[in-house]
Amino acid sequence: MIGFLILCTFIGIIIIAFASVTQKKLSNAIILFMGVGLGSVILFFIFKAPDVALTEAVIGSGISSLIFLIALKHLKGKR
Amino acid sequence: MSLKRDLPTSTISGFALSASLILTILNILLHNIPNNIQTAGDELLKLNATEGVANAVTTVVVYFRGFDTLGEIAVLFIASLGLGLMLDENKQCDLKAKSNFMLQTASKLLFPIIMLFGIYVMVYGHLSPGGGFQGGVIIASGILLLLISFNEFEVPHSVVSLLEIFAGASYVIIGLIGLLVLDRFLGNFLPNDISNMGMLLSGGIIPIIYIIVGIKVGSEMSVISENLIKRCEDV
Amino acid sequence: MFEFFNQSEVIKVIIIIGSMSIFFVGLFGLVTQKHIIKTFISIAIMESSVFLLFIGLSYKQSFLAPILTDGQQNFNNMNDPIPQAMILTAIVIGMAVLALGVSFAIEYYKLTGKTDIDEMTTLKG
Repeated sequence: MIGFLILCTFIGIIIIAFASVTQKKLSNAIILFMGVGLGSVILFFIFKAPDVALTEAVIGSGISSLIFLIALKHLKGKR
Repeated sequence: MSLKRDLPTSTISGFALSASLILTILNILLHNIPNNIQTAGDELLKLNATEGVANAVTTVVVYFRGFDTLGEIAVLFIASLGLGLMLDENKQCDLKAKSNFMLQTASKLLFPIIMLFGIYVMVYGHLSPGGGFQGGVIIASGILLLLISFNEFEVPHSVVSLLEIFAGASYVIIGLIGLLVLDRFLGNFLPNDISNMGMLLSGGIIPIIYIIVGIKVGSEMSVISENLIKRCEDV
Repeated sequence: MFEFFNQSEVIKVIIIIGSMSIFFVGLFGLVTQKHIIKTFISIAIMESSVFLLFIGLSYKQSFLAPILTDGQQNFNNMNDPIPQAMILTAIVIGMAVLALGVSFAIEYYKLTGKTDIDEMTTLKG
């Protein structure tokens, strides 16, 4: 059962990552990138690495996406 | 520069070459997966039992590879320094969107809880999943929430630079005391009895160093997010 | 039906092929996308695939997380803590480097007004 769960999570991450890099609208791409981080958190937790899972939850899907959103706010401004 | 123009020959041959390489590597990998390998981690797990810390990852990060962690903190500091130098210092402005009432009230309510959770994760890093890196980033995300919701909020730079100097210096000083008292850098000179394993006061210098790492990471991440938000070009 | 996936060799194959696929999705985005934020997103996806491969190869199904909890006396039958410690620091450093790169992009946009990486041909400001 755990192997099937790992397989399904990997397939989900691949689909979300592909949708993220081919998305036209940039804010959608950033939100889908958060989904990639969430899938990684689930996999790290299955792989018995709770420290890495906590780090990825805070950084990979939290602060990184906020940095991207702030950068998008700057880039979309003038000119 | 577009991919479509030279699709027929070079792209297809490139794909075929990379696919055959991948298949070869996979073939090698799959036939040579060792089953009962004696890794360096087993030795470290045995050594870990003598330090009196319940979380083995904390011991590896802070104690066995403590010198590397000092280097990682230096990398973080250099990244924060480069970001501060890169963005223009003189031109400051707010982001255009003014935050609404609900965001301000909710962030006032949530900020103490986020800080408490960050400090908890930081202090209990040697007993449970968590530690300085995660706790510091959680605290920085709380400060980022304040920066988003209140336009007039500023990170107190004198306090942050004092904290950063204190953290960086005390890491090295604790390591040098370990060098003087015991025979190596970052020696565990405080009492680290195995019978105390699982208590809050256990493990000697390991939780202290992780708290120092948390202070350093938290202040650096706060400065990075403040620089990213506040410094933009005026209209 | 699900027992087939529980063999340790099959799990290792799933981990290797899955993380390689995520890496190539990131590489595809890096090659085909034009906007600079998309480039950074692709690099972050490639990074996370490497993290998944590292942690996944040190995973053994019957072993426990390397944290001592109630009812355990010693550190036997626990996962390898070294890859976890390495990835723990690598994630934090990756995020700081990402912030540095994003600040480069913002500053370049302020100087020239370009976000398309194909148009970034000038070296002077």
